[in-house]
Amino acid sequence: MDPFLRDLCERALDVARTAGASYADARYLAEEWESIDVQDQTVQGIDRGVTSGIGIRVIAGGAWGFAGTARLEPHEIERAARLAVDIARSGAGLLRTPVRLAEEPPRETAWSSTVIEDPFAVSLDDKLGLLFEATAIMRGVEGLAIAEASIDLWRRTSILTTSEGSRISQTITQSGAGIRALAINEREIQQRSYPNSFRGHFACSGYEHIRAMDLTGNAARIAGEAVALLSAPECPSTETTLVLDAPQIALQVHESIGHPLELDRVLGMEAAYAGTSFVSPKDRGHLRYGSDHITITADATLEGALGSFGYDDEGVEARRETLIEDGIFHRFITSRETAPQIGEDRSNGTMRASGWDVIPLIRMTNINLEPGASSLDEMVSTTDDGIFMSTNLSWSIDDKRVNFQFGTEIAWEIKKGRLGRMLRNPNYAGRTVDFWSSCDAVGGPAEWGAWGTPNCGKGQPGQTARVGHGTAPARFRNVRVGVRG
Amino acid sequence: MTRLGRDRMLEIVQPALAVQADGIHVLGFHSWGGLTRFASSEIHQNTWREDVEIRVMAVLAGGRTGVASTHAANGEAVRKAAQDAVAIARVCPPSPAFPGLAEPQEIPGKDGYDEETAQAGPSDRAAVVRRLLAGLAGDMAGAGFSETVADEVLVANSNGVSAYAATTRAGVSLMAIAPDSTGISEVLTRRVGDLDLERIASRAIGKAEHGRDPQPLAPGSYTVVLEPAASSTLMQFLAWIGFGAKAFLEDRSFLSDRMGERVCSELVTIVDDPLAPESLGLPFDFEGTPARRIALIERGVAKSVVWDRTTAKQAGLSSTGHALPPPNPEGPFPLNLLMEPGERSLEDLIASTERGLLVTRFHYSNIVNEKETVLTGMTRDGTFLIEDGKLARPVMNLRYTQNALEALSNVEAVGDTTEISTELFFGGSRAPALKIRDFKFSSATTH
Repeated sequence: MDPFLRDLCERALDVARTAGASYADARYLAEEWESIDVQDQTVQGIDRGVTSGIGIRVIAGGAWGFAGTARLEPHEIERAARLAVDIARSGAGLLRTPVRLAEEPPRETAWSSTVIEDPFAVSLDDKLGLLFEATAIMRGVEGLAIAEASIDLWRRTSILTTSEGSRISQTITQSGAGIRALAINEREIQQRSYPNSFRGHFACSGYEHIRAMDLTGNAARIAGEAVALLSAPECPSTETTLVLDAPQIALQVHESIGHPLELDRVLGMEAAYAGTSFVSPKDRGHLRYGSDHITITADATLEGALGSFGYDDEGVEARRETLIEDGIFHRFITSRETAPQIGEDRSNGTMRASGWDVIPLIRMTNINLEPGASSLDEMVSTTDDGIFMSTNLSWSIDDKRVNFQFGTEIAWEIKKGRLGRMLRNPNYAGRTVDFWSSCDAVGGPAEWGAWGTPNCGKGQPGQTARVGHGTAPARFRNVRVGVRG
Repeated sequence: MTRLGRDRMLEIVQPALAVQADGIHVLGFHSWGGLTRFASSEIHQNTWREDVEIRVMAVLAGGRTGVASTHAANGEAVRKAAQDAVAIARVCPPSPAFPGLAEPQEIPGKDGYDEETAQAGPSDRAAVVRRLLAGLAGDMAGAGFSETVADEVLVANSNGVSAYAATTRAGVSLMAIAPDSTGISEVLTRRVGDLDLERIASRAIGKAEHGRDPQPLAPGSYTVVLEPAASSTLMQFLAWIGFGAKAFLEDRSFLSDRMGERVCSELVTIVDDPLAPESLGLPFDFEGTPARRIALIERGVAKSVVWDRTTAKQAGLSSTGHALPPPNPEGPFPLNLLMEPGERSLEDLIASTERGLLVTRFHYSNIVNEKETVLTGMTRDGTFLIEDGKLARPVMNLRYTQNALEALSNVEAVGDTTEISTELFFGGSRAPALKIRDFKFSSATTH
């Protein structure tokens, strides 16, 4: 823990307390990143940077106040701490119930994510070489229009100090990469991505995660699929059995389970922006959210998953919680402020801020669909008539997280237990509880893995969180597919 | 909080400009401001931030470039960012497509800075919230935000470009929440003093009041009257998937090969106009090119996309002043869209509709088919059935799955006033209300 930075944080706490704060935390964060974009054989951009600052969060007069500054000088930090208290007091007059925080023991500790190969130490030459090789292979496929490849790296170093006595330092390294092949005709763009869409596959890991992907080994396959999609028949508009691959299940979990179980949404704190939730606190222990095959956990301790950490930004230790068990809803993801509002003693540790300049919010950690006993082969071989969809392309869901519509990059028909023709423009739609209740098979541990969602948006000012989802392929009955405009 | 000003910002970026390279391009950003959020009629998140960012692009022989940035405004950090940018550029392959750095050009004058907004404090924002909440009915709660922000932007390069602007922004939103309905009103402006809080509150509260007891409605094709926020969503997504020159040149845009053709109703004109007095835009882009008004669709005919220096060089044209900060794999983008108003009031649009739907705004829209411009999303915060020219009753929210260009081809009338709106995760754009026939709703939800 850098003594200068720790002292700055301590100074912020002292000033806030002197100014009248009943609680204060000061959080130093430095995040460095590297982002590389290659298109065909040209570099579209290499971006390296670092942002650092201190965010000071206080309770004064029973209300929250927050001030963040990049100016890491003692007098600026003192000014920001006083301002945070002034801000809190400005809101106290519009408060009916003073903020009360769930108990949390103070901790002095440090945590780092596991890194075998420092991704920032790998040379740009090596990284560009990998990406250029992948795009060259893709462009070798006749009919392909555009080949893209990217790498994204982040390293967050933080110090959290609280007026309750916590002193927690963390270093979290995250890595991701992906390739995308685009085929274009006069009417449509067809794309295939590997290992996942929206810039690839992300993990709380070092460069070993990227080396293990085999981007080049999959480049020709996805380029061929993108070209083939242009002439494939369109996904039919019908109601059928739907099998989804693990990355698409990850986004389905994200949108229709993760977000509606965020307690701040449930309590209306995001009502005017991202929305609320169809789930209410009285549903705990009663609501059948899905079939018996659906068990959902929130697990910030999942080794290597993108949403893993040691402690959240309120100093709560990472943990694993069961949110839905055998289809029955039991638990929200919570914070120290919200947990007591529904009668719970402790936060389950999901508060994270995307930067030093914004407050922590309840964010998904790794929200996982626990493995079942089936397999993709078995799901297909026991389906007489259906569709297998792979790799997310589009998503949309209402403000209470009920009505959704998702598109994927590619699909194949299933006929008499076998995968058949490739289908283009696949999509499906439904309502959350009906959909999860129609699940009759989930893949087992061999097909289960953690997928990263690096672009989860929430809050005002907007924050982007990197979260994870452990999932396997799953099957759903009587799903509407092929929605057309 | 005070402005740094052009001279001080130039001083801050000077260590970057002094680093040895064939060319150096620097962006300086300084921003500060507060955002007070409220929910359940209480202020629950109350924040302030100040940030400085220096972003440096180094250019070496053969058009090799690298970008590095820092959020520390001291000479050592700025110099190191520039040195990192040079180190990145060294490993990049040559890029014949690189157009070189901009030469100095005259920047149009635009006064976008309001001292009262820049200096607004937490008690000012709390006072705004109190006034927004004052008119709520007894069974209603309010949620939303009050925000005041100031920004300074400097674009400088080793060719002598030195463009500077200071801007302010004041925004408020009120969602009135009744037991089974919501209504929203949201306004963004340059000056906090321009906010008509009573009107904003009255609109949100009126929507929630009229939206009580919504009934289900079967999905299908309806004539719709889209209020400005909903019109804006269609326009913003069209921009996202087709108004930029990179997508155009790569045949990914719905306008590729259609320039000069009629693509929608002649009632529709879409421009990008950073210089319009009510626009929140800068008078230059992030390459230092002066901003100007560009017609994208004029009376239904595709006229242009927006260009930066790289795409313009590729096409043998000039930049239109729409570059984003480097590095930018996405290409140029119109940040200040405006759909020109027509001559009909919103009341007229409703009165002329025998049977249809009034849509206050859309929620969480996304792209279904990029080149065919098919979008999907939900209605939200006030959806009403129109019968015989009157609002007959509120209805539960519906999902649209609709070709956006086809919708703009089916425009029957355009509202006479524009409003600035934001879609989730987008910036602001201005649009009028639109009356559109045969708008397709593919499913419904439960509220």
